[in-house]
Amino acid sequence: MLRTNGHAQHHETSRSWNLLVFSVGGRRLAVRTLEVGGISQWHESIPVSGRTPFVSGVVRLNQIVLPVFDLAAALQRTVQGTSLLCLRMKHSLGDLAVCIDEEIPVLQTLDRSMIQPYRDRDVPAEGSYAHGQEEVPILSVSRLGMGVW
Amino acid sequence: MSVSMKREKRATSASTSPLCFLVTTIGGRYFGFEAEYLLGVQTSENGESLQDPVVQGITYRVVDLAVRLNLATEGRWDRTQGVLLEDGRRRGCVSVQKVHGLLDVHLSQLLPLPAQFRGPERVWYRGMILFDHSVVLVLNTAWVLEEQLEGVVSKIESQGTESIVALQGTMQSKDQAC
Repeated sequence: MLRTNGHAQHHETSRSWNLLVFSVGGRRLAVRTLEVGGISQWHESIPVSGRTPFVSGVVRLNQIVLPVFDLAAALQRTVQGTSLLCLRMKHSLGDLAVCIDEEIPVLQTLDRSMIQPYRDRDVPAEGSYAHGQEEVPILSVSRLGMGVW
Repeated sequence: MSVSMKREKRATSASTSPLCFLVTTIGGRYFGFEAEYLLGVQTSENGESLQDPVVQGITYRVVDLAVRLNLATEGRWDRTQGVLLEDGRRRGCVSVQKVHGLLDVHLSQLLPLPAQFRGPERVWYRGMILFDHSVVLVLNTAWVLEEQLEGVVSKIESQGTESIVALQGTMQSKDQAC
């Protein structure tokens, strides 16, 4: 369920990061592949009433229940497509599920020299890189759902 | 209205003994109640809304979890069944959409709420149970009844309008498993 960007994937080194590039509501985002637990078809989430911002439900994957981080809500967007995907991220408190667009994510290797500070504050980011005119944030998974970032 | 009563409370279970929960639907979601605090289930036979029921001279004020859990905006639903709970001096009747029955699980099957839920909801729920391709959120009885202490009213009804019947039907058969 992944595409590459045409270049062979290399092992991540001190000079490069391997990224998974995906989209939410048409907005391009990236996450380090080290922090990706898997991608599967999205199943409807089960709402859990609470007051933790953007953590408002769980999703059941067979015998496993994962909390859902509503990245689309954090970005004030709506996920796009009819066959949405579930991106499982490795969070320090346990794996998180994120609903992403149906567009197939892309693997990409990025030289660290291309990584810049992320200027926006809409999502927690370890940095960003330029994709044409677009600034693509590299998510800081450990800070997702941890309050103000 | 009719009330199905549990005859007696279960003995405190050891860690290896099964836990028992009453599974209900509220606002289209599964919620579980700890059976050791369960006194019975009230059913409104004519489809009328539940009022504070009086059972054996004790009034159980209706607890509207749909409001407390912010489920009220998700559409109207019938609230013709009530779960009677008692925890020490606290008593209440939780209005629910549907009562599914009692469910036995082992302690290991009561999953903790994921740590990413960091708000007051950690107090609201005791955990989760896999059920019917979905999840039952097990409510913390102390939280459910926390506003009921001062609302406890003892009242002797000279002419009771409800009948108290022995444990019956699904409740009875499943209770025996607890």
